[in-house]
Amino acid sequence: MTTIRMVDPAAVSGKVREIFEAVLRRERTVFGASSVSNIWRCMGHSAALVEANWNRSRALMQRGDFTPLQRELIATAVSIANACHY
Amino acid sequence: MRLGVDEVGVTELMGVTEHARAMATTAAALLLESLGGDASLIPPLAPGQGEAEVEALLGEIAAWAKAELGDARVPTIWRILAHNAHYLRATWWKDVALMTPGALTTRDKRRVALGVAMATRARYMIEYHTAVLRRAGDTDRDLLEILGVVDHYTTLNTLSEAMRIESDIRPPA
Repeated sequence: MTTIRMVDPAAVSGKVREIFEAVLRRERTVFGASSVSNIWRCMGHSAALVEANWNRSRALMQRGDFTPLQRELIATAVSIANACHY
Repeated sequence: MRLGVDEVGVTELMGVTEHARAMATTAAALLLESLGGDASLIPPLAPGQGEAEVEALLGEIAAWAKAELGDARVPTIWRILAHNAHYLRATWWKDVALMTPGALTTRDKRRVALGVAMATRARYMIEYHTAVLRRAGDTDRDLLEILGVVDHYTTLNTLSEAMRIESDIRPPA
Protein backbone atom coordinates (compact mmCIF):
# COMPACT_ATOMS: atom_id res chain seq x y z
CA MET A 1 0.00 0.00 0.00
CA THR A 2 1.27 3.43 -0.82
CA THR A 3 1.23 5.89 2.07
CA ILE A 4 -0.54 8.52 -0.02
CA ARG A 5 -3.19 8.40 -2.73
CA MET A 6 -1.71 8.45 -6.20
CA VAL A 7 -2.69 11.19 -8.58
CA ASP A 8 -4.97 10.17 -11.45
CA PRO A 9 -3.09 11.13 -14.65
CA ALA A 10 -6.43 11.99 -16.30
CA ALA A 11 -7.25 14.49 -13.57
CA VAL A 12 -4.12 16.65 -13.64
CA SER A 13 -3.71 19.87 -15.57
CA GLY A 14 -1.15 22.49 -16.45
CA LYS A 15 2.53 21.78 -15.89
CA VAL A 16 1.98 18.38 -14.25
CA ARG A 17 -0.15 17.22 -17.18
CA GLU A 18 2.49 18.39 -19.63
CA ILE A 19 5.22 16.51 -17.74
CA PHE A 20 3.10 13.37 -17.29
CA GLU A 21 2.62 13.28 -21.06
CA ALA A 22 6.38 13.52 -21.56
CA VAL A 23 6.98 10.85 -18.89
CA LEU A 24 4.53 8.47 -20.56
CA ARG A 25 6.10 9.00 -23.98
CA ARG A 26 9.45 8.09 -22.50
CA GLU A 27 8.21 5.13 -20.44
CA ARG A 28 6.35 3.74 -23.44
CA THR A 29 9.62 3.76 -25.40
CA VAL A 30 11.83 2.48 -22.60
CA PHE A 31 9.71 -0.30 -21.15
CA GLY A 32 6.42 -0.38 -23.03
CA ALA A 33 4.35 1.36 -20.34
CA SER A 34 0.71 2.13 -21.10
CA SER A 35 0.22 4.61 -18.25
CA VAL A 36 2.40 6.91 -16.17
CA SER A 37 4.31 4.87 -13.60
CA ASN A 38 3.39 4.98 -9.91
CA ILE A 39 6.48 6.88 -8.82
CA TRP A 40 5.51 9.90 -10.93
CA ARG A 41 1.85 9.62 -9.89
CA CYS A 42 2.95 9.80 -6.25
CA MET A 43 4.94 12.95 -6.93
CA GLY A 44 1.99 14.46 -8.79
CA HIS A 45 0.59 16.20 -5.70
CA SER A 46 3.45 18.67 -5.90
CA ALA A 47 4.05 20.29 -9.26
CA ALA A 48 7.40 21.62 -7.99
CA LEU A 49 8.59 18.11 -7.08
CA VAL A 50 7.46 16.61 -10.40
CA GLU A 51 9.13 19.36 -12.37
CA ALA A 52 12.39 19.33 -10.40
CA ASN A 53 12.75 15.55 -10.64
CA TRP A 54 11.72 15.41 -14.30
CA ASN A 55 14.38 18.02 -15.05
CA ARG A 56 16.93 15.89 -13.21
CA SER A 57 15.74 12.75 -14.98
CA ARG A 58 16.25 14.41 -18.34
CA ALA A 59 19.62 15.88 -17.36
CA LEU A 60 21.01 12.74 -15.76
CA MET A 61 19.26 9.81 -17.49
CA GLN A 62 18.47 11.09 -20.97
CA ARG A 63 21.56 13.10 -21.79
CA GLY A 64 25.24 12.28 -21.56
CA ASP A 65 27.99 10.31 -23.20
CA PHE A 66 26.90 6.84 -22.07
CA THR A 67 24.29 4.70 -23.81
CA PRO A 68 20.82 4.43 -22.19
CA LEU A 69 21.70 0.82 -21.33
CA GLN A 70 24.92 1.82 -19.56
CA ARG A 71 23.00 4.31 -17.38
CA GLU A 72 20.20 1.82 -16.72
CA LEU A 73 22.69 -0.85 -15.56
CA ILE A 74 24.05 1.55 -12.94
CA ALA A 75 20.55 2.68 -11.96
CA THR A 76 19.42 -0.90 -11.38
CA ALA A 77 22.51 -1.73 -9.33
CA VAL A 78 22.05 1.37 -7.17
CA SER A 79 18.40 0.47 -6.54
CA ILE A 80 19.44 -2.99 -5.40
CA ALA A 81 22.21 -1.57 -3.21
CA ASN A 82 19.70 0.83 -1.67
CA ALA A 83 17.37 -2.15 -1.10
CA CYS A 84 14.64 -0.49 -3.11
CA HIS A 85 11.93 -2.92 -4.17
CA TYR A 86 10.25 -0.57 -6.65
CA MET B 1 14.89 -4.11 -19.01
CA ARG B 2 14.01 -3.64 -22.64
CA LEU B 3 17.35 -2.29 -23.70
CA GLY B 4 18.53 -5.54 -25.18
CA VAL B 5 19.73 -7.37 -22.10
CA ASP B 6 18.52 -10.94 -21.62
CA GLU B 7 18.39 -13.09 -18.47
CA VAL B 8 22.12 -13.80 -18.74
CA GLY B 9 22.91 -10.10 -18.78
CA VAL B 10 20.56 -9.38 -15.90
CA THR B 11 22.10 -12.19 -13.85
CA GLU B 12 25.59 -10.87 -14.58
CA LEU B 13 24.40 -7.44 -13.42
CA MET B 14 23.00 -8.91 -10.20
CA GLY B 15 26.26 -10.76 -9.59
CA VAL B 16 28.41 -7.67 -10.06
CA THR B 17 26.02 -5.69 -7.86
CA GLU B 18 26.01 -8.10 -4.95
CA HIS B 19 29.78 -8.61 -5.23
CA ALA B 20 30.43 -4.84 -5.27
CA ARG B 21 28.15 -4.41 -2.26
CA ALA B 22 29.90 -7.22 -0.37
CA MET B 23 33.32 -5.76 -1.18
CA ALA B 24 32.16 -2.33 -0.04
CA THR B 25 30.99 -3.86 3.24
CA THR B 26 34.27 -5.74 3.64
CA ALA B 27 36.39 -2.64 3.01
CA ALA B 28 34.32 -0.60 5.47
CA ALA B 29 34.39 -3.41 8.05
CA LEU B 30 38.17 -3.53 7.76
CA LEU B 31 38.23 0.24 8.42
CA LEU B 32 40.12 0.76 5.18
CA GLU B 33 40.13 4.51 4.73
CA SER B 34 41.72 5.04 1.35
CA LEU B 35 43.42 3.11 -1.41
CA GLY B 36 46.77 4.73 -0.70
CA GLY B 37 46.48 4.64 3.09
CA ASP B 38 47.66 1.92 5.44
CA ALA B 39 45.18 2.19 8.33
CA SER B 40 43.13 -0.99 8.80
CA LEU B 41 41.41 -3.09 11.45
CA ILE B 42 43.65 -6.07 10.70
CA PRO B 43 47.18 -5.47 9.39
CA PRO B 44 47.94 -6.84 5.92
CA LEU B 45 49.92 -10.06 5.70
CA ALA B 46 53.60 -9.17 5.62
CA PRO B 47 55.30 -9.67 2.22
CA GLY B 48 56.49 -13.21 1.61
CA GLN B 49 54.84 -14.56 4.76
CA GLY B 50 52.00 -16.50 3.08
CA GLU B 51 51.89 -20.18 2.26
CA ALA B 52 52.74 -21.07 -1.35
CA GLU B 53 49.16 -20.87 -2.61
CA VAL B 54 48.63 -17.47 -1.01
CA GLU B 55 51.83 -16.10 -2.50
CA ALA B 56 50.80 -17.44 -5.93
CA LEU B 57 47.40 -15.73 -5.63
CA LEU B 58 49.01 -12.48 -4.50
CA GLY B 59 51.29 -12.72 -7.55
CA GLU B 60 48.22 -13.04 -9.77
CA ILE B 61 46.63 -10.05 -8.09
CA ALA B 62 49.85 -8.05 -8.47
CA ALA B 63 49.84 -8.78 -12.21
CA TRP B 64 46.21 -7.65 -12.40
CA ALA B 65 47.01 -4.51 -10.39
CA LYS B 66 49.92 -3.65 -12.64
CA ALA B 67 47.76 -3.96 -15.74
CA GLU B 68 44.51 -2.43 -14.45
CA LEU B 69 45.64 -0.03 -11.74
CA GLY B 70 49.04 0.87 -13.13
CA ASP B 71 50.63 -0.09 -9.82
CA ALA B 72 51.97 -3.58 -9.11
CA ARG B 73 51.40 -3.26 -5.37
CA VAL B 74 48.59 -5.56 -4.24
CA PRO B 75 45.72 -3.45 -2.83
CA THR B 76 45.51 -3.67 0.97
CA ILE B 77 42.12 -5.36 0.98
CA TRP B 78 43.59 -8.43 -0.75
CA ARG B 79 46.67 -8.45 1.47
CA ILE B 80 44.41 -8.58 4.53
CA LEU B 81 42.30 -11.45 3.16
CA ALA B 82 45.62 -13.22 2.52
CA HIS B 83 45.72 -14.27 6.20
CA ASN B 84 43.18 -16.92 5.16
CA ALA B 85 43.95 -18.78 1.93
CA HIS B 86 40.35 -20.01 1.50
CA TYR B 87 38.92 -16.53 1.92
CA LEU B 88 41.43 -14.96 -0.46
CA ARG B 89 41.05 -17.64 -3.13
CA ALA B 90 37.25 -17.74 -3.08
CA THR B 91 36.92 -13.95 -3.16
CA TRP B 92 39.58 -13.26 -5.78
CA TRP B 93 38.26 -16.01 -8.05
CA LYS B 94 34.78 -14.60 -7.70
CA ASP B 95 36.09 -11.15 -8.61
CA VAL B 96 37.84 -12.47 -11.70
CA ALA B 97 34.88 -14.62 -12.77
CA LEU B 98 32.33 -11.83 -12.37
CA MET B 99 34.35 -9.05 -13.99
CA THR B 100 35.25 -11.11 -17.08
CA PRO B 101 33.44 -9.86 -20.20
CA GLY B 102 30.20 -11.72 -20.94
CA ALA B 103 26.84 -10.25 -21.88
CA LEU B 104 28.22 -7.05 -20.30
CA THR B 105 31.66 -5.61 -20.91
CA THR B 106 34.26 -5.45 -18.15
CA ARG B 107 34.18 -1.65 -18.25
CA ASP B 108 30.41 -1.47 -17.86
CA LYS B 109 30.63 -3.93 -14.97
CA ARG B 110 33.28 -1.76 -13.34
CA ARG B 111 31.06 1.30 -13.75
CA VAL B 112 28.23 -0.61 -12.08
CA ALA B 113 30.57 -1.55 -9.23
CA LEU B 114 31.57 2.09 -8.79
CA GLY B 115 27.90 3.10 -8.70
CA VAL B 116 27.28 0.58 -5.92
CA ALA B 117 30.33 1.78 -3.96
CA MET B 118 29.11 5.37 -4.31
CA ALA B 119 25.58 4.46 -3.24
CA THR B 120 26.92 2.68 -0.17
CA ARG B 121 29.42 5.50 0.56
CA ALA B 122 32.33 3.08 0.64
CA ARG B 123 35.34 5.36 0.30
CA TYR B 124 37.99 2.70 -0.24
CA MET B 125 36.03 0.89 -2.97
CA ILE B 126 35.08 4.20 -4.61
CA GLU B 127 38.80 4.91 -4.96
CA TYR B 128 39.54 1.35 -6.06
CA HIS B 129 36.96 1.22 -8.87
CA THR B 130 37.72 4.81 -9.89
CA ALA B 131 41.43 3.99 -10.24
CA VAL B 132 40.57 1.08 -12.55
CA LEU B 133 38.17 3.16 -14.63
CA ARG B 134 40.57 6.10 -14.98
CA ARG B 135 43.25 3.69 -16.11
CA ALA B 136 40.77 2.33 -18.70
CA GLY B 137 40.21 5.87 -19.96
CA ASP B 138 37.19 7.18 -18.04
CA THR B 139 37.28 10.97 -17.74
CA ASP B 140 36.05 13.34 -15.02
CA ARG B 141 32.93 13.76 -17.13
CA ASP B 142 32.37 9.97 -17.25
CA LEU B 143 32.76 9.66 -13.47
CA LEU B 144 30.31 12.51 -12.98
CA GLU B 145 27.85 10.77 -15.29
CA ILE B 146 28.01 7.67 -13.10
CA LEU B 147 27.49 9.82 -10.00
CA GLY B 148 24.54 11.55 -11.70
CA VAL B 149 22.76 8.22 -12.11
CA VAL B 150 23.57 7.23 -8.51
CA ASP B 151 22.31 10.61 -7.32
CA HIS B 152 19.05 10.52 -9.30
CA TYR B 153 18.26 6.94 -8.32
CA THR B 154 18.93 7.73 -4.69
CA THR B 155 16.17 10.34 -5.12
CA LEU B 156 13.76 7.89 -6.72
CA ASN B 157 14.57 5.10 -4.26
CA THR B 158 14.02 7.42 -1.30
CA LEU B 159 10.66 8.59 -2.62
CA SER B 160 9.41 5.14 -3.51
CA GLU B 161 10.45 3.66 -0.16
CA ALA B 162 9.04 6.59 1.82
CA MET B 163 5.73 6.36 -0.03
CA ARG B 164 5.75 2.55 -0.14
CA ILE B 165 5.03 2.58 -3.82
CA GLU B 166 4.06 -0.77 -5.27
CA SER B 167 5.86 -1.76 -8.41
CA ASP B 168 3.80 -1.36 -11.55
CA ILE B 169 6.63 -2.52 -13.79
CA ARG B 170 5.91 -6.03 -15.04
CA PRO B 171 8.43 -8.42 -16.56
CA PRO B 172 7.87 -9.14 -20.23
CA ALA B 173 5.57 -12.15 -20.84
